[in-house]
This record gives sequence, structure tokens and C-alpha cells, in this order.
Amino acid sequence: MRPAQDNQGSFLGRISIRRNQFVDVNNEQEQEDLELFQKHIADRFTELLSPPSQQPPSDETNTVASVAATDQIMSVTWLRKLMDVFLCCEAEFKAILLMGRDPTQISKPPFDRLVPEMLDRSIKALDICTAVVNGIDSVRHYQRLAEIAVAALEQRPLGDGNVRRAKRALANLVVALSLEDKENVSGGGGGGGGGNKTTERSWSFGRRSGGSSAASKGGATIGQLKSSSWSVGRNWSAAKQIHAMATNLTPPRGNEAAGLPQPMFIMSTVLVFVMWVLTAAVPCQERSGLANHLPVPPKHLNWAQSLIGIHEKIGDEWKKKEKKGSAGLMEEMTRMEKLGHSLIEFADGFHYPAEKDAAESATAQVAEMAEICRRMEEELVPLQQQIREVFHRIVRSRAEILEVLEQAGKLSAPVV
Amino acid sequence: MAEFESMIPVPGVKNHVFEACHHVVKALRASDNNLDANLRKLLSDLESHLSTFGIVDTKVEDTGFSEIQERFKEALKRILSWETNQSMILEAGLSEADQFFQALYEVHTVLMGFKSLPIKTSRKEKDVYNQATVALDIAMLRLEKELCDVLYQYKQHAQPEYLAVSSRGKDIVYDESFVSLDDEVVIEASSHKDDEHIAGFQNADLVDPSVLPHIKAIANAMFACEYGRAFCEAFIRVRREALDEYMFTLEMERFSCVDVLKMEWDVLNVAMRKWTRVVKIITQIYLASEKQLCEQILGDFESKSFACFIEISKDTILSLLSFGEAVALRSCQPEMLERFLSMYEGSAEILLDVDNLFPDETGSFLRMGFHELSKKLADRTTATFLKFKDAIASAESSRPFPGGGIHHLTRYVMNYLKLLPEYTDTLNSLLQNINVEDSIPEKTGQDIRPSTFSPTAKHLRSIVSVLESNLERKAQLYADESLKFIFMMNNFHYMVQKVKGSELKHLFGDEWMRKHIARYQHNVTDYERSTWSSTLALLRDNNSVSTLRERCRLFCLAFDDVYKSQTRWSVPDPELRDDLHISTSVKVVQSYRGFLGRNAARIGEKHIRYKCEDIENMLLDLFECLPSPRSLRSSRRR
Repeated sequence: MRPAQDNQGSFLGRISIRRNQFVDVNNEQEQEDLELFQKHIADRFTELLSPPSQQPPSDETNTVASVAATDQIMSVTWLRKLMDVFLCCEAEFKAILLMGRDPTQISKPPFDRLVPEMLDRSIKALDICTAVVNGIDSVRHYQRLAEIAVAALEQRPLGDGNVRRAKRALANLVVALSLEDKENVSGGGGGGGGGNKTTERSWSFGRRSGGSSAASKGGATIGQLKSSSWSVGRNWSAAKQIHAMATNLTPPRGNEAAGLPQPMFIMSTVLVFVMWVLTAAVPCQERSGLANHLPVPPKHLNWAQSLIGIHEKIGDEWKKKEKKGSAGLMEEMTRMEKLGHSLIEFADGFHYPAEKDAAESATAQVAEMAEICRRMEEELVPLQQQIREVFHRIVRSRAEILEVLEQAGKLSAPVV
Repeated sequence: MAEFESMIPVPGVKNHVFEACHHVVKALRASDNNLDANLRKLLSDLESHLSTFGIVDTKVEDTGFSEIQERFKEALKRILSWETNQSMILEAGLSEADQFFQALYEVHTVLMGFKSLPIKTSRKEKDVYNQATVALDIAMLRLEKELCDVLYQYKQHAQPEYLAVSSRGKDIVYDESFVSLDDEVVIEASSHKDDEHIAGFQNADLVDPSVLPHIKAIANAMFACEYGRAFCEAFIRVRREALDEYMFTLEMERFSCVDVLKMEWDVLNVAMRKWTRVVKIITQIYLASEKQLCEQILGDFESKSFACFIEISKDTILSLLSFGEAVALRSCQPEMLERFLSMYEGSAEILLDVDNLFPDETGSFLRMGFHELSKKLADRTTATFLKFKDAIASAESSRPFPGGGIHHLTRYVMNYLKLLPEYTDTLNSLLQNINVEDSIPEKTGQDIRPSTFSPTAKHLRSIVSVLESNLERKAQLYADESLKFIFMMNNFHYMVQKVKGSELKHLFGDEWMRKHIARYQHNVTDYERSTWSSTLALLRDNNSVSTLRERCRLFCLAFDDVYKSQTRWSVPDPELRDDLHISTSVKVVQSYRGFLGRNAARIGEKHIRYKCEDIENMLLDLFECLPSPRSLRSSRRR
């Protein structure tokens, strides 16, 4: 977290401060806190939108050394930063909401409506966390396919057999990367029916004699390793949850805009946004339509500028990809797909012994792919753990809020 | 099957073989000649391979390129012959399998030989190398298929008895939610923890042990040829599916947090019960066996063995954790106490198993997940316990309970408490730091069981005290003083019976029992005084204000009133009812008989409405909870 006094605070003056019924005794202190909160949100997302140390976008063909800035939007590093940002915002928000506050205050209107709505959103976010943790498992599967291809193509001298093996892995990889979640999930079982698109769990008990046809054809599996078609629950849909989280999310108006409803609105917006980004990044159970429909906060809100900026970037990318299908927008996956296609091209044209030029350009691509795998190896599991951490944090905060509400209930209940 | 690795004649490898043999010899010495069948088989396989090994080794050294080429062609033919053959190599017999591995070995030799050659090689040699890479890939793909087929075909499940999900499924009383109590007729049911028979499990063979050497040979071959990743991918995929299938057989469905929070109590109850069972079976039996399988097959590649195990189990573990976490999100309803207790107990019980399953860094998040969940469930359980007490304290009624019988609240609470002694240890640990007021002063002594003053005992007594206060308040709702006593008597008697007839007696202790028996006996006395003392006073001789005839008439009128109201009262316990009948009868009939004996002549027979036998018979109708007042005359029976 940055120190409170900061040179970016100039917009603070423009926020009109009005006294109203929601502002309690420590009116000025509270106003200050609220403004600081907004400023921190703005700062954090600005940094996410354009990291201070960002290099000029590197040439795609420019290989390992300059392989894009590691914290480019949607890269795994960036996603981890996003999780940190979320945790910081959340901690600060909770302090504003609960610290030193009279419990009865958040049980009175309009909070009797706003607080339950917020808690409801947090429950939905929990399920999204679960789905995303699962989705990252799929990404780890892609990583392993890529590693197989890399290992095969690194063989020297490169023989037809190595290329054959790499091509098989790459073919599985690019198919998996371009599949939308629905197909992705049930195709993953591998053994059985291949392109099984049922939404119910499809158990392949009758496999005993059939053997594993897909395995014999393809070696590694198409799609994910997930053999259940839902990771969260029957008929659960990320898209529906995100929509439901966003439906009653409207900026506070009038008197409310200067009080506690404002940070509540901000935090909820951040929550919905972060969950939306996660579902965009990795395979996630049922997310159709999410590319287009995420209500964003009004543009005139200062704290929201960078968040809107990020949203637009991701949204544009998503819309492009949605048509041809994509397992996720994680930057590494996108690059993996591109490299996968061009290495397949190389493999298709390969004749033993390798021609020097072709081999050299392939070497560079293989090195880049290896670099992506390395980064995934380093960062995917920590990302998973951060998301679990987010999960636990949301649970804790919810419990603390409920506790305060219960206290408030006791205080306001008539003494028998 | 012999170690494929050790057959590869690459410089440096020989030393490894040498060292490995040393180890084997040492280990054999240490084993005191006690070899199990598997090991014995392994060693004899090794022996048979050694015999071929010698021949190969000399030939490689002695022959020229053309001979290598010849042998490679043979090997290629063999490998290709299996490429299209869909049946299992294993089923073609051991020697067939051996020949396949031998062919693979030839191919591998060519590859390794070529790699160690100086850069300048002939076109012909290069071609052979290239063909060898292809042959190797074909063989590896074939082995991958073989691996999947064998794993499917020889898959076994954990013992069927673990599979049976209890059909008991429901406890009638405890499916009731606490709030619906007042209107419901409560059927008593005994409950058992349904997982007793899980105790004493053993690891199961998840794959037929007879095919393990074959699978191991595949693993060794694939790892030696740098296809270890492909092996792991296929292995994980098939085993993960087997686990999913097992979960499906256990009927463990996945629910989102949103689902769990919305769930009706009866559905949730069943799901919680199932979870408690499944989490034990999965961690203590299934995953323990799975880990053993991974070690048996991939033990030589230790890190791989563990990585595979985690990949196989992770998804299922996370789904179990997430149900537990979702349940802990619910506000604690008092009726969830026992379910929470058993979930908590289950989660605490498996912690050691989980620690063993995931001992190191890679699995730490799964291990931590369970520890955190267990803590969370402990909190929820304690909170629910306290909530249970609050709920009893605040379960107010606005109308008097009809007939003065045993209130549903008493039934519910006492039957619920009966479930808790099974969890005494767990409860002790949860409640030890929570102070509570006890109705019995703490004592020690030879005849006092320590359990009587355990945290659980104190808290249970305190719950019953809360119940008692609540009943006192309910009793105040009766307009009729006597009915108040009957109500209290019934309920206290019920409490005593429930304590006496269950494990609760050791917790509640003798002193509690004595006090409470005295309490309801006192209610009996109070009742008799309040109902009968004024009525019987009419029969006493010293009362000379009115005439005998008038007193007799007044007595019968008063008796009618008592009869009319008290036949509708209820004393559900037959013994208690009998006792009450007898003691009432003794007092009333004796007084009446005495009165008539002394005064019948003076009153005149036609003014005596009831004979002694009438009174005696009619008294038997009291507390029978009759639907409407009987017409007095016709009611004489027995």
C-alpha cells in the first residue's frame, strides 16, 4: 500500500463532500477515509493498466530474451498482481466498513438492503473462485502438453519420430486451447467417446472392452483432464453468477453517494470485475455471453478510469476470440496457441535431416514455448493458492460482517 | 519384468547397474530370507532377463553396422506388428511381452549408439537413426495404449462393503427443523452413527496386483526413453477417472456454495451425513490405496510418484473441502448440531491420514485445507451448540400445552442430547474453555465418575437447566394450578427417563438424578394437595357447618368437576400414570369409604350418588387424555 500523502490526490478536491445522515460522528475523519480509499483503488488499477516499468511492446518474433513484459495484462504474473490488488482493496474496505463503527449503523436502511446484497455477491464470488482454481488445473494440463512438445523438439539430432511426437502433442494443445469450456470439459476424459458434449456427467463405465481409443490415436488427451463435466455444481454457470452479481449493482445517488454506500459500491464493482477477469483468463464452467455484458461503472467516476480501461482491453480481446472459441485469454495461453500453430507448420514441412534455416527458426520458437512453460510452472500453482486465499478472505469478511449484524440485532432487539 | 533402464548400455549406466546390484544384495541379506511372492517373482524375472542380457552385450560389441541394421529391422517388424493389433500385449503372454520390450530395447540401443557416435556418419546410418526415432515413437504410443487398457481392465474397487451408503439415511426426529417443533408430532427415533463399520479398514488393491509388474515395466521403459511425461499423463488421466467413478458410486454430488446455502434442511442433512462418510472412506481407504499404487508403480521415480498422486487426487479433495467450507457458511441452526459434530469429528479424525497422504511441500495446500476446514467446523460446532441452548431458552409458547403432557421441546431436546454422549471427547475438547453455570456442585470421590464433571457434562446439564426454566415459563400459562404440576411432573419424569435409559446417565450423574426424581415426586404431592385437599376436606368429620347430605352432594359435584377436566389431561408414561392412579385412589377412595362407612345410614342411600367402586373406577379414567368429557354415568367401566 502506498503512503497516504501522494501526489496523485489532485482529483480529491473535485469530489463534493456533503454531510448526510450516513456520516457519523467522526464525519471528517470518515470522509477522509473514503476519499483515500477511492484514491487507492484508482492508484492500484492504474498501475495494473500500465505498469511503471513496462517496456515498449516487444516484437513478437523477437524471441526469449524480450518475450513481452512479464506483467503484461492477463499474463499469469499480472493475474497474480490483480489478486494482490484485490486483497489490499478488500482489507482496506473492511476497515472502513467495520472498524470503530456502531454496529446498529449498518443494519439500518439503506444498509439493510445493501449489506445483504453485498454478502450475496460474495457467496457467488466464492463459487467462481472454486471454478477458476479448477480452470487453472486445465491450464496446467496445457502446460504439460507443451512441455512434451518442447522436449521432443529439443532432441538432437531431430528425427522424424521426435517431430511426430511433438506434432501429436501440439495438435492436442491447439485444439484444447481453442475449445470453449463446454466441449473442453467433457472431451477431457480422453478414453471414451471423444467429443462428448453432454452437460451431464458422462461416465464411461462400459469401457472395459473398448479400451482407450483416444489414447491410442492421440496419446495425450484432447482438452482437459477433468472427467467431470462440472467442477462447481450441477448446472452452475459462471455467466449466470456474474450477471446476478452485477444486476443490483448501481452507483449510489444523492445523499448516499457521499457516505458508506459509495465504498460498498466500489468494492462490489471491484469484486465483480476481478471475478469477471478470472473467468475470462482460464477455462471456466459455462461462461457464454460474458464477453459483452459486464456493466461497467460510469466513466465519470475517477476511481474507475483505469478499471474501465482494463475492462475495455480484455473485453475487446474476448469478443475477438469468442467467435472462434478460446479456452481462456491468459496471455501465456494466447502465445502458446500461436506458437503451437507455427510449430505444427514446421512439423508438417519437416524432412529428415532438418534444413538449417527452418530448424533455427523452430529452435527459437521452441525456446519461447519452453520459457512459457517455465513461467507457468513457477506461477500457476501460486496463482491457484492466491485464489484460495481470496476465497478464504471473502469467507472471513463475510463472517465478520455477519457477526456485527448479529450484534446489531441484539442491541436493537427489545429487552425481554 | 526387469528394469528397462538398467539394460541400456550407455557409458556411465554400467556403474549404476553395479551400484543397484550392490543395493539389492545388501537388502536381500537384511531381509532374512523372507521374500514375499511379488518380490520373488521380480527377482526371477530379473534372472531371465540377465540371461538374454549377456548375449546382447557381446553381440553389440562384436558386430558391425550391417548386423545392427538387421536386428533393427527385426525389432521394427515386431513393433509394427503391435501397432495395429488392438489386443493387450499382456494377454499375449509373458514371452510376447518380453519380446516387445526386447525390440524396444534394440531400437533404443540404436538411438543411443548413434548419439554417442562422432558427428560424421554415413547417410545410411542416419536413415537408420531416423527410422529408429519413428519406431520408438510408435512403440511408446503403443505402450501408452497398453497402459490405459491394462489400468482399465484390471481396475478394482475398494471393498464393496465400504461402498454401501447407509440406507438408514434419515433420523426422523432430527430431520425436523427446530423451528417447526411446536406444530409437529414428534416421533422418537434412535440414531446411530452410521459409520462405525468403517473402522478397521485396510488398504485396498485398486489394480489387480498380478499386473503391477507389467505396468511397472511399461513405466520403466517409457521413462528410460524419455517418455515419462506421457506415461504420467496417461496414468493420471485413467486413475483420476477411476476416482471420479468411485465418487459417483458413493453418490457424492458436487454443490456450489450458492446451492448449499439455499438447500432445504432435509436435503442438506443427507448431504452432510454423506460427506462425513465419504471424506473418511476417501482419505483413509481410497487415497491411501491410490498412493500405495503410485508408489508401487512409480516408486523408482519418487518425485513423479508423488506428483502423479497429487494430480489424481487434487480435484476430488478440493471438491470435498469446498462442500465443507460451504456448509460452514450457513448460519448455525440448532438442528445442525449433531451433523456439525459428526462432520467436525470426521474432519479431525482424518487429519493424521491427510498429513500422511500429503507430507511435503507440494501437497501442503491440500493438507492445510483440511486443517483449516477442521478448525472452521470446530467453530461452527461450538457456535451451534451455544445456539442450540439459546434456541431452547427462547422457544416461547403463547398457549398452554394441551393436556399437560410432554412438551415437544422436551422430547426434542432430550432425544437430541441422547445423541451427544457418543461425541463426549470431541465435545470436551470444544467446550473446555467455555464457562458454564452448573446446577450440581462439583465433587470428587470414589463413587463419582470423572465424566460427571467433564465439560460436556456441565454443558449438557446447563442445557437441561435452560430447558427447565423454559418449562417453568410454559407452566405459568396454565390457569389450573393442578395441571401446572402435572405438566411439570410429566416433563421432569421424561427427562429423568431419558437420562436414565441412555449413556447420558454417566454424564448427568447420580446427584442430578436424585434431585430430578425428587422434583417430579414433589410435583405429584403438589398435585394431590392442589386437586384433592379441598375436596377431601368435605369428607372430614370435624366439618360441621353443613349437613352430611349436603357435604356428600358437594363432594360428588367437586369429583365430577375433577373428572370432567382431568380425564382430558395426559400422563403418557403408563407407569407414572399407574402410580398416580394408585396414590390418588388410596387417598380419595379411603377417605370416601371412611366417610360413607361412618355416615351412609344418616345420609340415606338415595342421596349417595357414587359408590366406592364408582369412585375407584372413575379415578382410573383420569390422565387418559380422553377426547371429550364422558357422560358420567356411562363412563363406568372395568
